[in-house]
Formats: sequence, C-alpha cells, structure tokens
Amino acid sequence: MLNYLLKRLGILGLTLFVVSLLAFGLSKLAPGDPVERLPQSELGNLQQKKESYRRAAKMLGLDKPAFYFSVHPAAYPDTLYRFINYYERQTLKNLVGQYGNWEKIEAYWKEIYVMERQIEALPDSLDRNSIIKLRTNTTDLFVFYKDNRIQAALERMQKALENEALANAIKPAFERLKQKYEAVITQPETYRLYLPSFSWYGFDNQYHNWFWNFIRGDFGYSLENGQKIEEKMWSRLRWTLLINGITLVLVFFLAIPIGVYTSVYQNTMADRLTTLGLFMLYSLPSFWVATMLIVFFTTPEYGMNWFPTYGLGNLSEEASWWQLFLDRAYHLILPIFCLTYGSLAFVARQMRGGMIDVSHQDYIRTARAKGLSERVVIWKHSFRNALFPIITLVASIFPAVLSGSVVIEVIFSIPGMGKLTIDAIYAKDWPVVFAILMLSAFMTMIGILVADLLYALADPRVSFQKKNQ
Amino acid sequence: MNVRAEHIDQQPATYRRRVYRAFRQNKLALWSLRILYFFLFIAVFSDFLANDKPLYCQLEGKTYFPVLKSYGVELGIDRWPGDLGIANWYKLEYDNDRVVWPLIPYAAKTIDLKNNQYRSPFGPQRVESMRFWHWMGTDEIGHDIAAGMISGTRTAMLVGVVAMSIATLIGIFFGALAGFWGDDRLRVSRLRLILNVLAFPIVIFYGFIARSYAFAEGHLGWELLKSIVLIVLVYGLVNLVSKWLESRKVVRKNIVVPLDLWIMRFIEIVNSVPTLLLLLSVVSILSGESIFYIMVIIGLIRWTGIARFIRAELLKVKRLQYIEAAQALGMSQLRILWRHAIPNALTPVLITISFGIAGAILLEAFFSFLGIGIGSEVTWGSILSTARRYPAAWWLALLPGSAIFITVTIFNLIGDGLSEAMNPKGK
Repeated sequence: MLNYLLKRLGILGLTLFVVSLLAFGLSKLAPGDPVERLPQSELGNLQQKKESYRRAAKMLGLDKPAFYFSVHPAAYPDTLYRFINYYERQTLKNLVGQYGNWEKIEAYWKEIYVMERQIEALPDSLDRNSIIKLRTNTTDLFVFYKDNRIQAALERMQKALENEALANAIKPAFERLKQKYEAVITQPETYRLYLPSFSWYGFDNQYHNWFWNFIRGDFGYSLENGQKIEEKMWSRLRWTLLINGITLVLVFFLAIPIGVYTSVYQNTMADRLTTLGLFMLYSLPSFWVATMLIVFFTTPEYGMNWFPTYGLGNLSEEASWWQLFLDRAYHLILPIFCLTYGSLAFVARQMRGGMIDVSHQDYIRTARAKGLSERVVIWKHSFRNALFPIITLVASIFPAVLSGSVVIEVIFSIPGMGKLTIDAIYAKDWPVVFAILMLSAFMTMIGILVADLLYALADPRVSFQKKNQ
Repeated sequence: MNVRAEHIDQQPATYRRRVYRAFRQNKLALWSLRILYFFLFIAVFSDFLANDKPLYCQLEGKTYFPVLKSYGVELGIDRWPGDLGIANWYKLEYDNDRVVWPLIPYAAKTIDLKNNQYRSPFGPQRVESMRFWHWMGTDEIGHDIAAGMISGTRTAMLVGVVAMSIATLIGIFFGALAGFWGDDRLRVSRLRLILNVLAFPIVIFYGFIARSYAFAEGHLGWELLKSIVLIVLVYGLVNLVSKWLESRKVVRKNIVVPLDLWIMRFIEIVNSVPTLLLLLSVVSILSGESIFYIMVIIGLIRWTGIARFIRAELLKVKRLQYIEAAQALGMSQLRILWRHAIPNALTPVLITISFGIAGAILLEAFFSFLGIGIGSEVTWGSILSTARRYPAAWWLALLPGSAIFITVTIFNLIGDGLSEAMNPKGK
C-alpha cells in the first residue's frame, strides 16, 4: 500500500512538472509584451522611461534567462535575455534568424542606441519636424528586421538629414549606423544557424523562480493592475467554494436515494420514467439550461419574472444578516440548480447501474437466503459495493472547485474563480490564467489521489498491483 | 417471404453483422442514427441549403449555377464574369424570373437590414414574399437564424469528425503499441534503442529550434509539414541503418522494452492534465484564427480513452487462436497487428468514438458560447450566446440549444446502443 502510494505520488509529481512546463511554455508563446501591460509612469526622459520598464520587467521576473539551459543554434548568443525589452529581443532574434552573424548585428544594434541618445540630446532650436522624423524612424529600427523596411527607414532618415544644422550634429553617427547595417547584410554567416550549441544558465531563471514561488503560494502579479494574483483569488474563491459545496451536498442527498430506489423498483413505470428523465438531464448542456432559465424566468417578457438575473444582489452591508442571507440565497437558486442537475443525473444513473450489477451477485442471494431483511441487504450489502460512482464524483470535486463552474459563473455573473478565469482570458492577463491552470492541475491530482485511497477503503479487493486487463 | 433474404440470414454471421443486427433491435439508437444521417446531409450540403446566391438563374440570356460556381471561384479554377463577384444577387434582374433560390435564401452572414432588431419567426417581417421569410427569425444585426443553424450544423459535424479522427489515429497508435507488444514482446537491439534515443534531440533541433525563424515567418501548417517530413526521414534512416547493422550481426544483445508500462504511465499523465483549462488557455493564446485549432487540440487531448480501449481489446484478441495461427505461419508482427489484430479491435472502439464526438461537439459549443477561439464563424454556441442580450428573442435561446442537445443526445444514444449490442450480457 505504501509502495503504491509512493508510486502514485511520483506520477503526480511528474504530471505537475509536465503541466508546469506546458503552462510556462504557453506563457512564453503568448503574443505581446507583458511588461508593457503593467501600469508604469509615462513621464520623464528616455533614460527614466527605460529604467521604469526595467523595474516592471524585474517585478515580473523577466530579467532572468527563461530556463535552466537552452539548446540553440550557435548563431544566437546565450545572453540574449539581457536585452530587457521584449520587442528588441524579438527583432534581434529575427535578425539572427536571417543572417546568423551576431557580432555584426550587435555592432549595428549599439549604433541604434547611440543614434537614439544623440537625437535625444539634440537642442530644441533645430528643426522640430526633422527631429521627430528622425526619432520615429530610429524607434522603428528597434522593431524592423526585414531588409526592405530597414532600408526604407534609413532612407527616410537620410532625407531628414538634408537639414544642414541637423546633419552637422549627427551625420557621423548615422553614417556609422548605415555602415554597420551594410556589414550585417553583406557578411552573413547562415551556416551557424545549423550548428547546435548548449548553454547552462543555473537555477536563477524564470521558470525555476516561477515554479518555486508557486509552490510557496506566491503566484506573481496580475498584468491588469499589478495586484498580487493570490490576493485576487482569495475573494473569488469564497463564492466558488460556496456554490460548489452546496451543489455537492444536494447531489449526494438526492442522487443516492434516487439511484438506490430506482434500482430496487427496477423496471416499474416509475423507474422507467425516472431513468429516462435522468438521461435527458444528463444530456442537457448546462450553459443552454442556464440561458433558457435566464431568458424565461428572469425577465418580464413571458410573465414569469421570478428570479433575479445577474450577480449576487446589491443589498448594503448594513442589512441584517438574515436579510442578506435570504437575498444571496435567492440569487443563488438558479446557478446552483444549473450546477446540480448534471452531476445529479450522472451519479444517480451510475448508482442505479452499480446497484443493479451488484444485485445479481451470489453474495446478495446468500444474504437474502439467510433471511436478512431487504433493508439490510440493500443498504449494507449492495450499497457499499455500489459506492464507486460516488467516489468518482468526490474526486472530480477538487478540480471543479476551480473550473467546474466556469460557464455558470459567467452566465450568472457570480464573482468566483470561473469568472476570474474567463475575465483573465478576455483581458489577456496570462499570469492569472497560468496560475489557475497550475492550481487546477494540482487539484486534479489531489482528487485522483483521494479517489484512489477511497477506492481502496470501499473495496479491499482493489488490488494495487499492475492489472493486465 | 423473400427466399434470398432468408438464405443470407442463415449464413454464419460475422461479428460485425451480429453487432449490427443487435443494434437494429434498439429502436432509440436506430432513430438516433437516422437523425444523424439527416444532420450529416445538412452538413455536407449546407451551401446548397442556405445561400445568398441562387442555385440556378438566367441572366441576360446566359444560364448560371452560382452556388456551384462559387466553389470553383474559391478553388481558383473559375471566375465571375463582369461584376457578378460583388453583385447583390437579391437585386439582379433575372430573365423571365428564371431563378431558383436555395431552401433558405440567405447565407449565415447575410445581413438583412430590413429585418434587423430581432424579428420573431411569427412576428411581422418586411419581406417581399413568403419565399424570403425568416423561418427562424433574425438577430440584432439581421442575420437569418435558419442559415446560421445550418452553418452551425456543418461546424458541429466537422468538429466532431475531425477532432475524433485525430484522437482515433493517436489512440490506435499508442493503444496498439501498448496492447500488442505489451511489456515483454518488443525486443530491440541495444544499438537500435540507443540510436533512436539519440535521434530525438537531433530531430527537435533541426525540426523546430533551428527553424524557428521559418516558423515565425512562413505558413505554420506548411512549415510544420516540412518539419514532420524531416523527423520521419531521420527516424527512417536511423532504423534502416540499425537494421543493416543488425543483419550484419554487428550487434547481438537484445533488450526488452516495457512499452505497455511506459505508454500507460504516459496516458495517466495526460489524463491528469486539467483538460478544460488547458484548452481554454491554448485556444485563447492561438487567438482564434479558425475553428481548426479547436478541433486539433481536442483531438490531441481526447485520445486516451480510445488508446485504453484498443489496448484492452488487443490484449484480448492477441490470445485468440487465429493470431497464434498467423504467428505459426511466420507472418511478421507488424502484418499480424495491421491485418488481423486491429481490424478486430476496431468495432468496439466505435463506442468510445461515439461518446467522444458528443463530448467534442459539446466542447466546441462551449467555446463558441464563451466566444473564445472562434473567428467569425457562425455556430450553435455563438447564436446561443446572443440570446442573453435580448431575452424577448426566445428563438435565439431555444433553437441552437435544442440542436446542441439533440446532437449530443443522439451520439450518446448511439454509443449506448453500440455498447449494448456488443455486450448483450451486460444488461
């Protein structure tokens, strides 16, 4: 048993690792610059802005290498991560991808910096229009990587430099810039793109820090307002836990009796009707039912305006707790109904099937034969052995706490975890999305583990040896 | 009674025929199958059922089949004469009114400005004749819902079929590896194993890392195909080389690869990945170019059930006598697997596929309901999501929802029917 448990834990750890890699990889694939999304000061000169960007990137941990090691073509430098600006990094990658000569590209890049600083230092007395033209084109060079676009930008700068006073100030820098770019495109070393190279970065990297902070309960910052993610979650978790908890209790107290009684009165009219009803309920998509309920029972259109439409009500906190409770309960009736019926139908169906299967077993016949009352036979002998579907349900509760009620929370505007997830996806707030993904992987695993242990408790015959079938 | 039919009935029934006969006894499942045929019909001929172009018309003495022609134009083998390509077909002057419109004379994205702001199917509509009536009403902008439902049918069927085809292929591959070779039947030379393991980083490097610029700039699917060809070539080469070395008796020692154990562990890991959230994040990152991504990702995640089923079936099948006979005849392992074992394991997998299609369609509807990952496609889910904006438009809530419900239910019923037909003792 212990051996088995350890093996399971090993697999679960491996899974968590795989999911964390997936989440991290996806977060790197997500388009756009996360740092830019953080609120930062727009004031100050070039240097101050760059410093503010650097601070924001540091807060998100993006000033480190991405992973423990990297395997990359020899053309790429292993210090690319030190270019803190997302777009600069992308452009450099694309330049290397085309020409493969990092030394030349780096020299060219430095010249752009020089250019930028010199333009910044130009006195205001010079022709403003030309300065603006120069500045925008220099900024463009940070994102352009296709030859024709760079050439066009350089040409535009050349034109702006026809202004003599300007030319005197920065013509040399511009000529150097042009030269260096010329060198990049005339002396490519594309063969280096096909030579593999390996570099080791050590443990102070983005993935390592993210993962260990996650384990310690520090999920990082939301891009929306720079708030800590775990703070954002706590207030939401309350509602999700509440509605899922109530749902669970309801499912247990309704599904078990329904399942057991329909199996006892098998093939009677009542059983057939209930079974058909359960099958229909099981197939009804909850987002449809929720929409229908909102359309028909929360609006005056059809004369059945019985329930509130959205949210949790807006009673002030001063209302007595009883009033508050009633109001909240009133708002939660429809969402909880939508969450309940599906699992209810599933568990009741499974329960009935399990009970019927068990009832054909020899030991049940023996129990009856030895004169036990029907009640004892059903509850003590059959029921215990038909418990498996209930255990499966218990296991699925853990992940459901996070994601099970996504669509219901969205439809009824309940500020829970599911709504947080979808809102984060709409807002492209990736750190929140991936924190939830990780948490839910964690919960799924705990669920599976709990289910395994409960299976063993419910049926000692469950063998933890490797099965052949 | 028909003598011939009786004669056929007395033939020794194959397994598949027996299952089919048992399946036909189940009225519910049989009707589900018929409804499914109907849906498939709509999906395949959706362009001919609902379109903003006529099926047939005569213009200035010439005969046109515009719907058919638009296929040709899309493929690039045909052209619209004059300015027909941008013409409003409703406003054209047809010769002697020689024009045949499709059953629903609107496409899913046609905007009927005269009938916007939620026209009820029963309410007043500003149409020229009943031929142009919006039988299922319109939405806020003036889209015809009947046309949207037909387009949604095509999307749903496509998602179900494509996603499950991908899942089935992956599932059969892994399930067959695990079930047929098990833990002790795959023996490879140590050399071959080492070469195969070594090839992995090489393939990843030259297939993906070194080509990252090509991936970013080129067409994703095309570049992916090139990489896959490269991978196949490298692995083919590695195995040819090791086969040659083996035949030269350079290597003697064989190792047993516990394939079953590895694959089952792999399946366990895939199964404990939180599917819904992973799908949500992947699909939202791919930023919904097309519904195609959703199908592929569903397929990539939902194969484990099929793999397990195939594995269990193969474990059963492989002990059957005819497999032993084939082995005794000296057939190669691969040929036995492909020609004899898999075809027999395939029928029961239909059950899993059927439930899987229901799940995939439900997931797609869920995504388009939330508006995540679909482009401008009109689907059942996207129509349903508009219902919340205007509760008085009951048709927007009722119709697409029923379509989703019916489709999911028929696939579940077919699955139930198949499973009962294959395990008659089960009930």
